[in-house]
Amino acid sequence: MAARVVEIANGVPGLAAEGAVTWPKRTKARLSNGLEVILAEAHSIPKFHGELFFRSGNAAANHRAPGLAEMTATVVRTGTKKRASRQIEEDLRRIGADLSSGAGADTSAISFAGLSEFAEALLALVNELAREAAFPEAEFERERRQKLEEVKLERTQPEFLASERLRKVLFGAHPYGEVSPSEAQVAAYEREDLQAIYREFYTPENGLLLLVGDFDAQGMLKTIEKVFGAWTGKKPKPNAAEAPANPHGRRVYLVHVPGAVQTQIVAGCHAITRKHPDWVKLGLTNSLYGGAFNSRLVMNIREDKGYTYSPRSGVHALRQHGYFSVSAAVRNDVVAASLTEMFYEMDKLRSVPVPVPELADAQNYLSGVFSMGLATQDGLLSQLSTVALNELPDDYLETYRQKVRALKPEDLLATARKYLDSANMQIVVVGDRAQTEEQAALFGEIEVYDAQGKRVD
Amino acid sequence: MVAPDTTAPVVTVGVYYKIGFRLEPQGRSGFAHLFEHMMFQGSANAPKMQHIKLVNSSGGMLNGSTSYDMTNYYEVVPSNALERVLWLEADRMRALKVDDENLKNQRDVVKEEVRVNVMNQPYGGFPWLDMPPVAFRNWANAHNFYGDFADLDAADLADVQAFFKTYYVPNNAVLLMLGDVKAEEGIALAKKYFGEIPAGAPPPFADPSEPEQGEERRGNVEEKFGTLPAMAIGYVMPKRRTADWCAMALLDQALHGGRAGRMHRELVIEKQIAVEAGGGIDDIFGYNGPTQMTTRVLHKPEYSSQATLEAFDAVIREVQENGVSADELEQLKVKWRSDYYATLEGGRGGYMPKYGLMHLLACFTLFDNEPQLVNTILDGFLAVTREEIQAVAKKYLRNEKRAIVFRTPVKAAVPAGAKEAA
Repeated sequence: MAARVVEIANGVPGLAAEGAVTWPKRTKARLSNGLEVILAEAHSIPKFHGELFFRSGNAAANHRAPGLAEMTATVVRTGTKKRASRQIEEDLRRIGADLSSGAGADTSAISFAGLSEFAEALLALVNELAREAAFPEAEFERERRQKLEEVKLERTQPEFLASERLRKVLFGAHPYGEVSPSEAQVAAYEREDLQAIYREFYTPENGLLLLVGDFDAQGMLKTIEKVFGAWTGKKPKPNAAEAPANPHGRRVYLVHVPGAVQTQIVAGCHAITRKHPDWVKLGLTNSLYGGAFNSRLVMNIREDKGYTYSPRSGVHALRQHGYFSVSAAVRNDVVAASLTEMFYEMDKLRSVPVPVPELADAQNYLSGVFSMGLATQDGLLSQLSTVALNELPDDYLETYRQKVRALKPEDLLATARKYLDSANMQIVVVGDRAQTEEQAALFGEIEVYDAQGKRVD
Repeated sequence: MVAPDTTAPVVTVGVYYKIGFRLEPQGRSGFAHLFEHMMFQGSANAPKMQHIKLVNSSGGMLNGSTSYDMTNYYEVVPSNALERVLWLEADRMRALKVDDENLKNQRDVVKEEVRVNVMNQPYGGFPWLDMPPVAFRNWANAHNFYGDFADLDAADLADVQAFFKTYYVPNNAVLLMLGDVKAEEGIALAKKYFGEIPAGAPPPFADPSEPEQGEERRGNVEEKFGTLPAMAIGYVMPKRRTADWCAMALLDQALHGGRAGRMHRELVIEKQIAVEAGGGIDDIFGYNGPTQMTTRVLHKPEYSSQATLEAFDAVIREVQENGVSADELEQLKVKWRSDYYATLEGGRGGYMPKYGLMHLLACFTLFDNEPQLVNTILDGFLAVTREEIQAVAKKYLRNEKRAIVFRTPVKAAVPAGAKEAA
């Protein structure tokens, strides 16, 4: 099908002058025990949102067992020396609070939100979970059994199978190569392993407490000192992993799901961390490529060709490394056609400078949606945590829009050439082998796996 | 309607139409949702791709969603783009302009949406698509809301134009602006862009009421991917904005309020029969016809459906016989109030600031003609008594008022870690 001619709108009202964005003042402190604290007031509703981070996650625990930090965080909320599981849940409800605990590759975190009138009670419970978790034997066994079911269910989800394989291919033996444990690994978890992780990771020197919401910052700081001040503990020793090799040449990995009525595609390559000076450039390039509804890829394979509902691309920044990926769940008979368009749009950005009006549109988009983080308490919390956890400069929020606006077509051309590495993209296809193998094989040498991760050819 | 707030230089704009998938034409299942996609495909002065382009390139995001009784379109933009967004919404309210090629394109997109969300997902559509045909008798409530593919294929441009003419008239819609906009300014702009759009005939609404249910209803659906057996149990809800409705909302909190909720506590934590037991009343303010309070349970394969249902029934019986304690009721009310504030700020849109406030104002306008309910609706929930909760548990949680859907795996399940299971 020939791409249709893009028509122009008539009589569109122009944009008024852009409003000033004033990011709220951040109150920063470090308690004498080493706990870093960042507070920001936001009075939209009589609530507050908070997150207690520890700068160690599944990657730092991976040499013991994959997913061990996640399992530790799960069991942390099931009992303390003072409160049993049921008591914790009822106490949370009593003060109108929500709480969750989890771990990603690089951090473990207790996240919470509650009514401002009960702030101290909620912080006291968070403090108790961070310091006095009891890891009750029965709760551990129950959560482990739950985890086994979760792990089995994941293997029936095409998007999980695709991202799992891509991470293995891109990061190999590096801890980032493993996104989830196997059933056998979960079955082998010991309660003592969790307690060891808890002792090492959950310390004030390793922690960052962020609060955003309806409170007075100075008063809140006093409350925090009172609640968390007596806590002690050192930073864990870093365990350095060798840098993963960057795969060369396009290869295709097919995960065979018999009878799948759709094919999940993902392709990716190594990229950069948030701290890298090219971060903003790559963000803008991604937003032109497939990171926005109005992007080239979405317009091409969704709005023009109707191959898919959900195409997108993204830059994924982990603490030590990053990667770029593009994905779509497509009709079985257009796997090759979709990959062709994904590479076409990548190569076009690598060869032809972006027209200035299109660049201006993308700059407006990135600059506009960035400011939306200001409008809600949890939006602001998420922006502040990105800055703090990635150790970005203090004025990152204030200067971001300006950095986006300063970019020129030649910057994006250079960025696309450097990071949208189409010749070395690793391609994962999750679908029925009989319907997809021939199409996928057009793009590189192929390896076939089953949903359990076993190589089958 | 304008709700000013200058926290951020951002404005949220919504247009809600009082038409959802409940009242789409027979033989055209899935049409209301397909039509929602068509509203992004071009209007008289903003052809295909321009709606998305103009909002994104103004620094904003946009989306739409179709529900039982309404369809919404919304944008969040820096406030300097407010006028542009109003122009776009007015242009597509005045004159949708789409062709066969657009329709074919979006039909393909919708089919991939159904595949990615339902047909190629474990427990896809469970129970929101599985329950209605089992629970209800009136076609309006009982049909496939995403649409049978044959019905989607049968839809043509004439259907699109007729649907547009009938339901997408200004007298069947509400426009909302929330955030960085002054009240007078917002009203003046609304008049400028929407004031000239001619009203249409009042849209016809088929009667969605259900015959009184007098027996338990059951159905079975195959699960192609997952290995855990699942079931969903739905009880018919009382009429909206009655005292019983408020009491049911707090009973829902008691049963399904997260990890403190009785379903999770009994089935997942205490008895350890289920891996998941949750659910409740979905979008309590956002419907205007028959609906249910639904519990979704995924249980371990070593427990039969019968045993699981018995454990579920024991939870229901307990609250019918003993109600809730004064302490529990107090907890439920604090949590309800806290959740309500969170809804106003962000709501189910999550990343869309003020989505929840917009949604509530729109629903209270379209269904009740009383947007100011947003200020007072909380009072009714906070006034609920222990006696009322026990009374609605007895009155509505009855077997002859419920429907059960079993989602049964076709793959034999190997119990995980069977040896340490109780």
